[in-house]
Amino acid sequence: MTNTQRTLGAAAVIPIVAVALVVIFPNQQAFLAQIAITALLVLSLDLVVGFAGLATLGHAAMYGAGAYAAALYSLHVWAEPLTGLVVGILAGGLVALVSALMLMRAHGLTFLMMTVAITQIIYEIVNKSRAVTGGDDGLYGIMMQPLFGRFEFDFYGRLAFWYAAVVLWLVFLLLRHIAASPFGLTARAVRDDGGRVSSLGGGIFAHRVALYTLSGGIAGLAGALSAQTVQVVGLNTLSVTYSAEILVMLVMGGTGRLWGALLGALVFMMIHHYAAEVDPVRWMLFIGAMLVMIVLFLPKGLFGGLEAAVNRLREGART
Amino acid sequence: MKLTKLLLAAAVAAISTAPLMAETVKVGVIGPFSGPFSGSFGEPFRQGVETYVAMNGQPTEDIEVEFIYRDLQAPDPGRARALAQELVARDGVQYLAGFVFTPNAIAAAGISAQAKIPTVIFNASASAVVSQSPYYVRTSNTLPQVSVPTAQNALEKGYRTVVTAVSDYGPGVDAETSFVKAFEAGGGEVLETIRMPLSTTDFGPYLQSIQLQEPDALFVFLPYGPPTYSFVNAYRNNGLDDAGIAFVGTSETQEVDLQSLGEAAIGLETGYFYSAAHESPENEAFKEKLAELFPDAEPNPATVSAFDGTHALYEMIRATEGQPDPDAAIAAISGASWESPRGPITIDAETRDIIQNVYIRVVEQEENGRLVNREIKTYEAQPDYGVQD
Amino acid sequence: MLSLIASILIDGISYGLVLFMVSVGLTVTLGLMRFVNLAHGTFAMVGGYAAATFVTALGLPYVLALILAAAVAGIIAFGLEIALVRRVYARPELDQVLLTIGLVFMGIALSGMIFGNSLVPIRLPEFLRGSTDLGFRSMPTQRFVPLVLGLLSLAGIWLLFERTRFGVKLRATVDNPRAAGELGINTRRVYAAAFAIGAALAGLGGVAGAELLPVEPYYPLKYLVLFLAVVAVGGPGNMAGSFVAAILLGTVETAGKYLAPEFATIALYALMLIVLSWRPEGLFQRSSKT
Repeated sequence: MTNTQRTLGAAAVIPIVAVALVVIFPNQQAFLAQIAITALLVLSLDLVVGFAGLATLGHAAMYGAGAYAAALYSLHVWAEPLTGLVVGILAGGLVALVSALMLMRAHGLTFLMMTVAITQIIYEIVNKSRAVTGGDDGLYGIMMQPLFGRFEFDFYGRLAFWYAAVVLWLVFLLLRHIAASPFGLTARAVRDDGGRVSSLGGGIFAHRVALYTLSGGIAGLAGALSAQTVQVVGLNTLSVTYSAEILVMLVMGGTGRLWGALLGALVFMMIHHYAAEVDPVRWMLFIGAMLVMIVLFLPKGLFGGLEAAVNRLREGART
Repeated sequence: MKLTKLLLAAAVAAISTAPLMAETVKVGVIGPFSGPFSGSFGEPFRQGVETYVAMNGQPTEDIEVEFIYRDLQAPDPGRARALAQELVARDGVQYLAGFVFTPNAIAAAGISAQAKIPTVIFNASASAVVSQSPYYVRTSNTLPQVSVPTAQNALEKGYRTVVTAVSDYGPGVDAETSFVKAFEAGGGEVLETIRMPLSTTDFGPYLQSIQLQEPDALFVFLPYGPPTYSFVNAYRNNGLDDAGIAFVGTSETQEVDLQSLGEAAIGLETGYFYSAAHESPENEAFKEKLAELFPDAEPNPATVSAFDGTHALYEMIRATEGQPDPDAAIAAISGASWESPRGPITIDAETRDIIQNVYIRVVEQEENGRLVNREIKTYEAQPDYGVQD
Repeated sequence: MLSLIASILIDGISYGLVLFMVSVGLTVTLGLMRFVNLAHGTFAMVGGYAAATFVTALGLPYVLALILAAAVAGIIAFGLEIALVRRVYARPELDQVLLTIGLVFMGIALSGMIFGNSLVPIRLPEFLRGSTDLGFRSMPTQRFVPLVLGLLSLAGIWLLFERTRFGVKLRATVDNPRAAGELGINTRRVYAAAFAIGAALAGLGGVAGAELLPVEPYYPLKYLVLFLAVVAVGGPGNMAGSFVAAILLGTVETAGKYLAPEFATIALYALMLIVLSWRPEGLFQRSSKT
């Protein structure tokens, strides 16, 4: 396969999967939209965890910031969706930038706990600003204008799904491009050996701040999508619990390979949804056992396992 | 020819074994059936629904109701909306029910309003919830509804000064606001209003600083489960009862927590809408059936809300003969009154919210060692005082 | 004013001791063994359930139940270490996160199925109920349990790790497993024992802290941040550090409750952020250098 073929093939995956999902699950488009938005968020998390090598339990801070900002913008300024997305990106990016200045010299457990502290503080502030945010009752009453002035958001979530899927697709292509750029390569070099890069004169701190801000902007974008399509923003968007959940999805799918983020989000949400449907009471036992199995038997996550299986098949075909 | 005959025979056989072609009406119930709130809400919801069905059979001979339970552990509007959408579009439910948390109920309101799905709220207690969809009905309570009579009772008992301590979240703030308003309107004085973060584990400091202010009484609202347990124990162990600071509570002694609170709970006075010790034939029948179906279950306010909610669903299904006619269904339940295990209740014809008695109860220990909420006073037909603001 | 300060200190320190008791086991597994153990709360919860069962169902005395509860948590952890945990010591931190989260989920589901989804109280003996008069105010008598156990654990761990052959072996194993193995130390057994000790301490903490952190299925997730905060602020692997951190965090949150009730939580996290920005390795670094 040539590089061009490879790129085209990769670019086609998300649209093909999106169409397939709509065909298989025609009446669950609100759920599919949730998957697309979550996949976008997990993708942004991969920049921090996979590319910078930092485990965080505070990624929801940027997601929630984007969601609340986009919601407030649509309620008080303009209910146009696309400019709302920009507001979400800016809010998420801003929160990331400010916290990165504190965070990017830390690592390991310290980094993890600082992200928790920042998220909890933002959570408490939003909870207390009931007049503006609705506190834990949620921020509601969001009515979006039609997309491009033409397409109405229907309550079945048909438009919501395609809207989220297209945004996910574009961001994925952008991130693939960035990952292959000098910026992305530096990111991995920093992760693998911070010391050497800094001796070569790479501004590690500035680089990490930039990466974290980019990740925050995308998380904010996902938050904005959620606010616009769900029409209610709750405090759960800012919680440490949710941060942990998306981290689980990412590690499950496989870190550092954008594909792993997509696969992890899709598989986790599908299994969660259907396990909870089959047994609303005991599904957590199943999910827990599955996570343990993945750690034991698929050390590189689902995507790593998938890749290995495909390679084995190919070799089998060759011999 | 032979084949046709055979098919015909089979068809006849099939029809004659089923007494009548029963029509199935599907109801989607969304609630926390797993997770931290399942003990206080999810399980009681299910028990309430199933107890009602066991006592009343099907709505009519030829209509069968199928309940589809969907798990929603915590506040998560996105998932709430997705579940509601899927229940309506894929599973074809005619009615929705359940909902513990306000943001979830509000997120599903869009689906209920646009797809015209009559929905019975089993819990979500913010005043604004029911007005979010013209097809929403509530069979639980609001916090102003129980806090206002509780404040009146505190005044009648001669308490002049109080400190309020509530959990810092929607229902807590609602309880505080309406209690303070009613208490001050009656000439009482509120010395301080404390909002305690939901994640609080150590309540000692709050109680010590309340003690320093020497109020006549302490008004409390805490969510179910662990915080209530810690708070009640802290109230006793920090010596507030010895200092003569009365406990004025709401839902703290509800049945699902009561036995685990133990001796610390004896003597606590609360104002709420259902006590398992309510004396009426309806309540006895309800408790008996519940105990028969679920020997370990406690008859809890959430159980009764779901029980009555199921009654509301049955009324709507009967009025529309199982056909999807949302407006007729809502018209049938608006203004309806019936005798619930908790006492007489009415669905307000205008707001579709519940009107019910609020009881002042005191925790007593029965001879067999079990604790009960003994009703000592009744405030009849209380509306939601929240909507009047 | 003086009595206010005294009250803040008394409540703060006694709360801090509860925090220390529930986190001390994590200082062993996460701090010393470098195993990212998010399932710490599961062992505390196991201890709590065990104690409740011993007291209520079997009628054992509280003190005996406390010791047995720690043993139960330790034994279960020992089994898990052999079956699962030891396979991921050498793996990246994130794999350890995923594994222990998986264990947490399973623990939540199983305890809900066995003990129900409501909290389970551990009945206190008569002499621990009610309040004790301190002269100018009263204090819940039960708080003496974490006080005594906290000091005992601190002393016990110090003796065990600094003054016994096991301690020497453990430190050698943590610092350089290969060299330790060449010296004839059975590193696998040392690790399994240390993991079990950490879990037993967690079990003890689960019982001692149950008046404030009641035992219920969601215990491991609900208080996870609290455990991690104590260890991170104190400096991973440093017992005395965790002790000081727990008292500090407890006192600051308590002061917040007295002085600005609405901002107590924010104060706690702000303190954590400040300490960690100022000293990324925590207040005290681990004593034995790697």
